[in-house]
Amino acid sequence: MTHAASRATGRSATSEMVRRLPEYLVIWVPLLLSAAHLISFSIWTIWISFTPSTLIPVSGWVGLRNYNAVLASRNWQIAFDNLLLFGIAFVLLSLITGLLLAILLDQRIRAENALRTIFLYPLAVSFVVTGTVWSWLLNPSIGIEKLVHDLGWTSFHFDWLVNRDMAIWTIVIAAIWQSSGFAMALFLAGLRSVDADIIRAAQIDGAGPIRTYWRVILPTLWPITITVVVVQLQFAISAFDLVRALTNGGPGIATQLPALVVYDLMFQRNQLGRGAAAAVLMLLILLAVLLPYAAWRYVRRRKAAHA
Amino acid sequence: MPITTTRRRLLAGSAAALALPAFARAQGAVKPRLTAISQWSAGSDGAAITALGKKFEEKGGVWQHSPVPGFTTEMMNKLRAQIIAGDPPACSQLKGPEIAAWSKIAPTVDLDAVVAAAGYEKVVAPDLAKLHKPGGKWIALPLQIYSTNMLFLSKRAMDKAKADKIPVTWADFNDLAEKMKSGGVTYPVANGGTRADDGQKFEASLAGISPAAYRTAIMNLDKKALEGPEIKAAFAQMRKITNWMDPNVGAQPYATNLKRFVDGDMGMMIMGGWAQGVLRNAGFKFDDFVIAPGPSDNGKPVFLLNADAFIFWQRKEADLQAGQMLMAQLVMDPAIQTMYSQITGSIPVRTDVDLSGEGWSDGQRRTAAALKDAVANNQAVLSLAHNMAQENGLTAAMIDVFTEYAKNKTIKPEEAVTRLADAVEGAR
Repeated sequence: MTHAASRATGRSATSEMVRRLPEYLVIWVPLLLSAAHLISFSIWTIWISFTPSTLIPVSGWVGLRNYNAVLASRNWQIAFDNLLLFGIAFVLLSLITGLLLAILLDQRIRAENALRTIFLYPLAVSFVVTGTVWSWLLNPSIGIEKLVHDLGWTSFHFDWLVNRDMAIWTIVIAAIWQSSGFAMALFLAGLRSVDADIIRAAQIDGAGPIRTYWRVILPTLWPITITVVVVQLQFAISAFDLVRALTNGGPGIATQLPALVVYDLMFQRNQLGRGAAAAVLMLLILLAVLLPYAAWRYVRRRKAAHA
Repeated sequence: MPITTTRRRLLAGSAAALALPAFARAQGAVKPRLTAISQWSAGSDGAAITALGKKFEEKGGVWQHSPVPGFTTEMMNKLRAQIIAGDPPACSQLKGPEIAAWSKIAPTVDLDAVVAAAGYEKVVAPDLAKLHKPGGKWIALPLQIYSTNMLFLSKRAMDKAKADKIPVTWADFNDLAEKMKSGGVTYPVANGGTRADDGQKFEASLAGISPAAYRTAIMNLDKKALEGPEIKAAFAQMRKITNWMDPNVGAQPYATNLKRFVDGDMGMMIMGGWAQGVLRNAGFKFDDFVIAPGPSDNGKPVFLLNADAFIFWQRKEADLQAGQMLMAQLVMDPAIQTMYSQITGSIPVRTDVDLSGEGWSDGQRRTAAALKDAVANNQAVLSLAHNMAQENGLTAAMIDVFTEYAKNKTIKPEEAVTRLADAVEGAR
């Protein structure tokens, strides 16, 4: 009896496999291909970073010479400082903007769909377009400053784009415009999934709307918050097209970011080895963000499984 | 000495005699074909290379030019990909020390015989010739020359300053800028904000102060000269220039401001000779501006050389080889150089072309005269900002310093000198 049963399950498992074969093919083949692609090129880049390659890849071993050269260069140091400032400011501000927009949209308002679309739309625009448009808007001689001057307020001053201390903030502004809609969408989904009974219970206990949000609803959003932070951080670390179109690293080299340095070394200075070293450093920065996130998810899933 | 010359001539002559029938035969047997890549796709550059292609076809060739629009680096990325794939174009645009650097990664064509047959070496500025024969053999041919330190004066700004004398030295230049400022010219210096723009401001300053220091410090990277008093003086002059510029330019190209320049809202522009073509294409007249050699403290013209060139990559196909020889002959031909320069606003590489005839502007005549004088006085040097003096990596590291200095007015000249020396050290 047991024998027959197990044979029956075996047969059905096989037929199940055959039936689902197309699904596996659709999912696993591209997944394996892209993983192989990603991993092989990462390994290749790591290898190049230890070679004396300049114009084209060559073999050879120079140890950490490329890394030392990159770390000692002014461009990289400025890029790294900018990354810290840009990463923190951009993530925090887009988080706050996104949350605020989500809460306001959550008030059962009219035309919610239209508004949501408007706030999400910047995400559909390419970064190069965003960068170019903002570079016109922020340029003192043709953009906002000129508009306000023409309206009669001639002492108005807004020259961040050409001011080397403030230029990095123009990138923050454009990046927030582009991606706070994304944070808003996630937060809105989170707000909508909060159990209505809990909110009603809070209201019965006499909590006002602000108190309800602060003490009851927002604490349930923190898993979403972490997802938003990680997604935005990896965007911040790999930011390239937006900066290239908006400031191109200028004024001078005041708004350099790591991805610009990599491109510059590899394709403009013809120093493939150093460019690869800078790329590997970028990868390390990314891992510093992604590994704790993966660990956190793992711990959380185990906790959930035990509960 | 005369004996060596004769022997060299004899050698060159016999090489040419041996080689020429071979070209003739090759050209007779197959239809010459040329695959070429360059960044020249639009404007006067595109028009010029298209005209060159027409001449190539008139001589019975097949012209296959693929332009890669955008920056030179994008053209280089395509070239790099083709070389790695083992399929280089028969001929590509490349210039300055990059010719030597790239010739190490793929075999090039030895052009000595065809150059000798044309007697070309005698009519090319010596520093320029050297760049095109790394390892002693001609592998590339310069096509046209620009000076990167021409001085453009706005006629209306001159009227506002009540001045009519063209400044010769930096002191004259500074005087005129002050006069323009008090005469109501908002920004005495017209400028763009690109990296090359900032680099040009420095190289024009240093070469004008001392071409000899420019040669030792920038072209030969002599450590002592790099920290010398001339470099500091050049940074000080550059600071004066940047104080007269419009700070709101951002990263716009210089061409954005041409109208303000012609209107007299901006006074003087230190720019390459190519700006003449751009001004003319924008509809401005020769009466609107004056072109003169850039300031030079010893009074004799200093010429910062920038030259476009073609490099020839080895190919096995007989038709491509024949095409390369035909192309080489065309590029060296005075009539072709005349045609090309008249379209782009440059000057011919050959120093024996007569520019007195029709089709040349006063600016081009003055530029050609300045080159002759500068070569005679050993004051023709290679432009750094336009990648003629050093390879790209070193150039970019040095321009980092100039562009930061241009935009950050708290950096003192002495500090900039140290930064420049450090940047050179770091990039080597």
